Order: sequence, then C-alpha cells, then structure tokens
Amino acid sequence: MKLKNKLLTGALIASVGFGAAITYADDIRVGITMRMVSENGQAYGQMMMDEIKGINEAGGINGHMIKATLMNDECKSDKGVANANKLVFQEKVHLLIGSSCSSVTLPIVDVTAKAGVPQLVPHSTNSKITQKGSEWVFRVPVSGRYYGGVNAKYVGENIGTKIAYICAADAASVGDCANMEKQMKARFGVEPAYRADVQEKEVDFRAHMQKIKSMNVDGILVAALAETMARALVQSYEAGIGEDVRRIGSSSASNAPVPKIAGDAVKGVFFAAAYAAADQRPIAKLFNEMVKQRYDIHAPDHDFSQAYDLVRIMEIALKNTALTGSLADDRTAIRDAIANVKGYEGLASGPISFCAAATPQCRDGNRTAVLIGYTKGGENFETEVLARVTMEEDFGLE
Amino acid sequence: MAFDLNSLLAFIIFGVTIGVVYGIVALGISLIYSGLDIVHFAHGEMYMFGAFFGLVLAENVGLPYPVALVGAMIITAVVGMLVERVFYRRLTRAGGGYTVAGMGMIICGFGMSVAMVNVAYFIWGAEAEPFRANLDYIPRLQFPGDIEVPESYVLTAIISVILMFTLHYFLRYTKPGLAVRAVAHNKDIAYLMGINVPLMISLIFGVACALAAAAGVLIGPMQSVQVEMGYLMLMKAFAAAVVGGFGSLPGAIIGGIMVGVFENLGAAYISASHKDIYAFLLLILVLMIKPSGLFGVEAKVKA
Amino acid sequence: MLQVNDVHAGYGNLKILRGVDMSISDGGIVTLLGGNGTGKSTLLKAISGLIPLMKGQITFDGLDISKLKPHERVRLGIVQVTQAKEAYPAMSVEENLVLGAYTRKDREAIKVDLERVYDFFPVLRERRKQMSGTLSGGEVQMLVIGRGMMAKPKMLMLDEPSAALAPKVVLEIFANINRIAKSGVTILIVEQNVRMALILAQYGYIIRDGIILIEGNADMLIKDPAVKESFLGGSVADVSRGLNKK
Repeated sequence: MKLKNKLLTGALIASVGFGAAITYADDIRVGITMRMVSENGQAYGQMMMDEIKGINEAGGINGHMIKATLMNDECKSDKGVANANKLVFQEKVHLLIGSSCSSVTLPIVDVTAKAGVPQLVPHSTNSKITQKGSEWVFRVPVSGRYYGGVNAKYVGENIGTKIAYICAADAASVGDCANMEKQMKARFGVEPAYRADVQEKEVDFRAHMQKIKSMNVDGILVAALAETMARALVQSYEAGIGEDVRRIGSSSASNAPVPKIAGDAVKGVFFAAAYAAADQRPIAKLFNEMVKQRYDIHAPDHDFSQAYDLVRIMEIALKNTALTGSLADDRTAIRDAIANVKGYEGLASGPISFCAAATPQCRDGNRTAVLIGYTKGGENFETEVLARVTMEEDFGLE
Repeated sequence: MAFDLNSLLAFIIFGVTIGVVYGIVALGISLIYSGLDIVHFAHGEMYMFGAFFGLVLAENVGLPYPVALVGAMIITAVVGMLVERVFYRRLTRAGGGYTVAGMGMIICGFGMSVAMVNVAYFIWGAEAEPFRANLDYIPRLQFPGDIEVPESYVLTAIISVILMFTLHYFLRYTKPGLAVRAVAHNKDIAYLMGINVPLMISLIFGVACALAAAAGVLIGPMQSVQVEMGYLMLMKAFAAAVVGGFGSLPGAIIGGIMVGVFENLGAAYISASHKDIYAFLLLILVLMIKPSGLFGVEAKVKA
Repeated sequence: MLQVNDVHAGYGNLKILRGVDMSISDGGIVTLLGGNGTGKSTLLKAISGLIPLMKGQITFDGLDISKLKPHERVRLGIVQVTQAKEAYPAMSVEENLVLGAYTRKDREAIKVDLERVYDFFPVLRERRKQMSGTLSGGEVQMLVIGRGMMAKPKMLMLDEPSAALAPKVVLEIFANINRIAKSGVTILIVEQNVRMALILAQYGYIIRDGIILIEGNADMLIKDPAVKESFLGGSVADVSRGLNKK
C-alpha cells in the first residue's frame, strides 16, 4: 500500500510539474527545496504545490500565475545548496522556499543573501538562521530560542530542575539542547544533571540510560531527529526508567515517525511546537480533515501547518507586490512585501509578523509556542495541549 | 564524566551484549572469507534484509518473534545463496575460481550493496519502521549495583551464543561441517574427496547470510529497522573480524565483543559524539601490535 | 576401464595437453612418466575433472565422463591423490580419513575400511587423534593415500607419491601401493622415480610436451636404452628413436 502511495505521489508531482510548465513570461517563479524522503516529507512538498495550484486556478496573483519548482534536498546540506543555486541562478526564481533541516537552511541563507533573493523558511528552527544578518530571510516557524524558553519554563515550574540531556549532533538538536541549557541556567540557575552528546544517527543509548537511571533525575531532554529520538525513548523504558521521569522532546518530537516508531514509549513525552493537531479552533479542525483526505495522514504535525501558513503568507505578500518585470527589482519588492506582513493569523500557534530590519526580532515570525503532550503512541497517536506561551521579541538573544 | 565502578560495569555489560551481535555478523564475514576468499561487502545489506524479513514475518504475517527470527534466517539464506549463484559465481567463470577473482569480487560486493539498498528502499521506503517484539517472557537480568539488563539484550546475548555454539558444533562434528572446513582449506582437494564444492559454497554463503539476518532481527526491536542500517553494521563487524583475525571464527566473536566494549567505554569516558570511531581506533591499535589480528592465522598458502 | 581420446587441456589460454590418447584396462598398475612440465599432473587433473577439456573425450567403464564435475567422478570411483601431499592440517588424522569416505553412505563398511587403512599404515593408527599438520612428510603421504582408499576407488591416481621422501619410506609406500593394487584397485601412478615406477608397474606411458611419446609394457620400457637415456638427460630425439625401434 505504501508503495502504491509513493507511486501515486510521484505521478502527482510529475503532473503538477508538467501542468505548471505551460507558463507565460510574466509568471512569478517560486523555487522550493525541502527534505522529501519520508511519506510526510513528500506530503509537505505536495501540499505546497497543491496550494499554489489552488491559487493559480483561482486566477493567480493579480493576473500572474505562480510557476513553482519543487526539489528534494534529502536533508543534505550539499544537495540543498546545489538546489538553491540552481533555482536562484538557472530558474531565476523570484522567491525561494527552503528548507526543512536547519543544517540545510543555514548555508542556503548565504546563497539567497548573496544573490538577493527573498527566502521563506518553512520548517527550520535553529536560532542562528535569522542571526546571520541577512535582509532576505524570513522564518515562518518558531525559533529554537523561543522553544528553549518555553520548555525550560514549563519544566522548571512543573517537573523539576534535575534534568538529563541527550543531545544528538544534528544542527536542530544541537541548537535545541543549547537553548534549553541556557534557559535552565538563566531561569533556575541549574546545570544539566547529565549530558550525553551522541551521534546524529546514534542507535545505542543503553549505557547512557543506565547511567541516567542511577541518578534519579526529574526529566530527560531528548534532542534528536525523529528516528533517533524514537530509539532513545524506547531504550529509556527498556533501561527501566519509570514513567514518573518525564521525557522532554526537542522540536522534532512533533514529527509523525516519533510516535509511530516509539509506540507506547512516546506516552507522556511533551514538546514545544507551532501547531497542535488537538487544537480546537474550527480552522484547525478543517485543516486536519483536509490533510487526512488529501494525503491520508492521521494527524498533521506543525510541519504541515507551517507549509500551509507559508503559502498563505507568500500569497498575501505577492498580492501586495507591484511587479515591474525587472528580476532584481521584483525580488526586492517581494522581500519588502513579506516584511510588511503583520499579524497573520492562520494555523500557527500565534500570529506571525515580520518587519524590515535584518534582525532575529524582525525575522522570527512566530513567537508563540504550544506545549503538546503525547497521550497515545503508534500510527494513530493522540496528543493534548498542555500550555500556550508567547515570548518577548528579543527573548533568548544575547 | 565522574568515574564509579558501577557505571563502568554497566558500560562493559552493555558493550558485551551489542558486541556479540557484531560478533555473529563478523562470523558470517569470516566464514565467507575463509570459505570463498572474498571479503563480502554487501553483508551489511544481508543484515538489513534479514531485519526487514523478520519485521514482515512478525508484524504483517503475525508470527511469534522466535519463529520470525528463524524464518528471516531461512529467507535471507536463500536470498544470499541466489545472490552468490547468480552474480558472484559468474565472476569466477573467467577461470581461477574465487581465489583469483579477487578485485572484481570486491567491486561486485560494493555494487551488490548499493543495489540491495535501493531494492530495499523501493520495497520498504526510507522511513525507519518500528519492530515491536513481545519479550515479556524473557527475564531481566539483575547485576550488582542496580544494573538491570533489559529483556531484549538478554535475548540477544542468549541467541547469539546459541548460534555461535550451533555453528561450532556444525563445523566440528557434522559431515557437511567437515566438508565446509575442507572447502575452506582447499577447494581442489575437497573436490577430489568427492565433495560437491559448488553446493558447499552455496551452503557457506547461506549460513553466513542467515547469521547476519539473525543479528538484524535481534537488533530490530532495539534500534528500529531502516534501509540504511547495514552500512554501519558492516563497518563494525568488519572491524570485529579484523581485530579477531580475518578468517578466524572464534576471533570474530572475541573481536565483536571487544569492539562493543571498547566503543561503549570510549563513548562513556572520552566522547559519545564520535562513537563510531572507536571501533576503528581499536582496529588500528590491534593491527599495530599484531598485524594478523588477535587470533589470526598466517596467510593461507594456496597451491 | 579408462579411455582417453585425443584430449586437449590446459589453464586459461595455455594449452598443455595436445592430443593425449590413453587406454587403461582393469586391474594392475600403470605408470605415467615424464619430466617436469610435460603435462603429467595436467593429465591427471583432466581425468579427475579439476580442469575442463578443450577437446577430446574421456570415458570410464564405457560412460562418457568428459562433462562430469570432480565430485561426480569420485562417485564413479575415480579418485586422485594430489601431488602437494595436501592433508587438512587443522583436522585430525581420523577426520581426514573419514572425509575421504565423504561420498559413501555405508557406515559399517567405512569402519572396516578405516581399520584396513590402519592395518596398511600402522603409524596412522598411532596418530589417529593428532592434527595432521604435526605429521612427518612420509606420514602425510601415507595419510593421503589412505584417504584416497577410503573413497573405495575403482581407479586410484597417485601423483608422485615418492617426491621428497626418504628412500626407506618410499619403499614402504610402494609396497603398500602394490598391496592396494592386489586388492583389485586399478592404479595410475605418476612418478619421477622412473626405475622404481617401472619395477612397480605393469605398463607405462611416457609423456613429453603434452603428447604421449612411448607406451609399452614396463619390463620392455625399463630395458629400453632410449628411455634410460632420456631420463638421464637424453633428448626427445633419442626417445623417438627408441619408439621407432619398437
């Protein structure tokens, strides 16, 4: 069944690609590079293409069609940079969307800054992305510096301050760990009770878990990409660490493979995210239903909502752009229009606003995180909203 | 990190439990090397396929875990034998047999590794799959100092040891085992004993792949099952085989345990962020002291 | 029993046998003589099946065995004991002998034959539990001949059983080869020790450059001055003259 899905998705991507190929000179060209190696990853890209197609079918943007090119970077920096260069210099896109993994987005920021192309970041949370001082980058998700604060606040006030850290070596998790550590120190004056820096795709956490078990900690932060995190969670229970020790997930905890692979070990794990499938707002319920019907996804994680929100934000900005036909001028105009998006309220945990300065305060659009807890694991996982926290603009900056 | 005896003991125990798994994969690599004179670079993929077969048998077919383990071993053995018959043996037709085909065989192994990863990717996709085995009937092991070894690790260690002794018994006390050893030593002489050498080569390959599959099914519940899992295991098992002395079967096991313990201690007391390096550090250390590996025999002289 | 017709064989592109004809009848000892690199071992390998034929045909008891694999020929009763005196050093003497009976299923008869081999070579009985890697050169030669007997051969091919052995040991081994032949096994023996071989055998072939130069009864060959001369450093021409004289 999975194979059939994959083939169908492939056919869909191909058909969308060909459909969009019949274009006119004054199309708005948009390039997308994302990690599309998993079923969910495929669906994120597909959702963007579908939403863009929807805009075109409804008459486009002020009479212009959007021609979107979707590329897969497999969460690999070299591929992401190659994709970005191709999109920017060969396809001559007006706007670049990318990428999923922080380690890929970080170098792409340099590409778009140098070429002068506006870049909308759909998924990456590493704080440094907006701290590079690029005028061209805008982040739709919640920055890791906010997540760190939200996690630290909740953990310190509700769980305890004796926390063990397991930090994987990928860019997002390294950032998540550092932010959490910094905030725990700033708010409660505590250092990690135990800290293990493990490999990005570590498979064996047993010795660490054994050590952690003997320390009687209040909680364990597992900062790692989805599959690595799931393994660590499973092994923490195998080591005999009880349910009373809370497991805190990093930003990847929202990804569907975590509950799927970890199964019951995911119960009680909580994490900060930009969207909760358990959100009771009508727009969220409609969105959940749409994702289920279109992509056969049980419950959308925040990478879905962010993909959707990003297209809406792009639509708003493009509608407010007066295109001149000069690529450089149009790129600048689109950038300024995105910077003018204020208080967009979509699926995200809070309103998204940008401003003109090339600072994290202006370019980290969403400052509100929801704390989500898993109540059930497996394919048909369930979650609940524990808290919703909005942070100050300059929170977590030096 | 602060030193205390309990955690040292824990690191060693966990090192041993993962080490025996490296050991049984290394055993297969060593067996193929001593029997066919090739270093089988697609062995990690046999391990990965075994894990997936076990997963399919346990989750989709609904077999109990031990049955799935045996089933995966059998299926993988058949796949391995087919791969050997259809692809590798073709290379030996040019003359000289496995001993001479050398370099071409190594490249063929690498190619097979890439091909098998892609086949697996096509069938099962890139995502990791959870492998939930019900192991409640296995007791947890309690060591002094509040070190508790979980069921899956107890099971892994037990089954690995059983497999090792079964292989040992097979090679030492059965007629086909005797024939396998004869083929491993010299194929021409074995032929002249009336041994069906091509069949024995298939058998060696099948047994080696079955061992890899067993490792895959044992590791599956701990680490989940994923297309790219084979590469890392190959590296570790390869290191284990070389540390123990390439071609030496007891050496493969000892080498596996040494790699497991060494990398766990390295991760605990030096740094966990480059854990995979320690296996090779050990490899270099051993090769500096004893170039043929710990239990290595002098290079085989071929007539 | 064994018919070799116009056999061409070699290794890769190197052709060593260039049309060998041979006919060995039931019983007795036949010897194949020739200098180094003349194709003696190659011919044995062609008969036992270790190398494929490029051309020609080999029949055994009227059955065409040219395409059979070595282990299938062993089942028919063609057993070769190789020149390199290869026992399996990591196996005990008895394991080696049992391995010799690999194709047989008759357990009781195997036990009887094992005793028979031990009777032939009492030293092997003494060393039955020892790893064969620890045996002396003569003992290994006895072991591999004994191992060949364990397969219950109709035809036993021996490749230079006297090479690099002390004269006393050679005598013992040759005496035993004679006993084996008396028990009804046809023996094809390749030798460099020409005199000994021709005394032992009833019939002889002389091979040179991949073809049979001379064949004839052993007592004739041994008296042939050309043969004598040839193996003491005489030329091909001398041997050919000897052939013409016949």
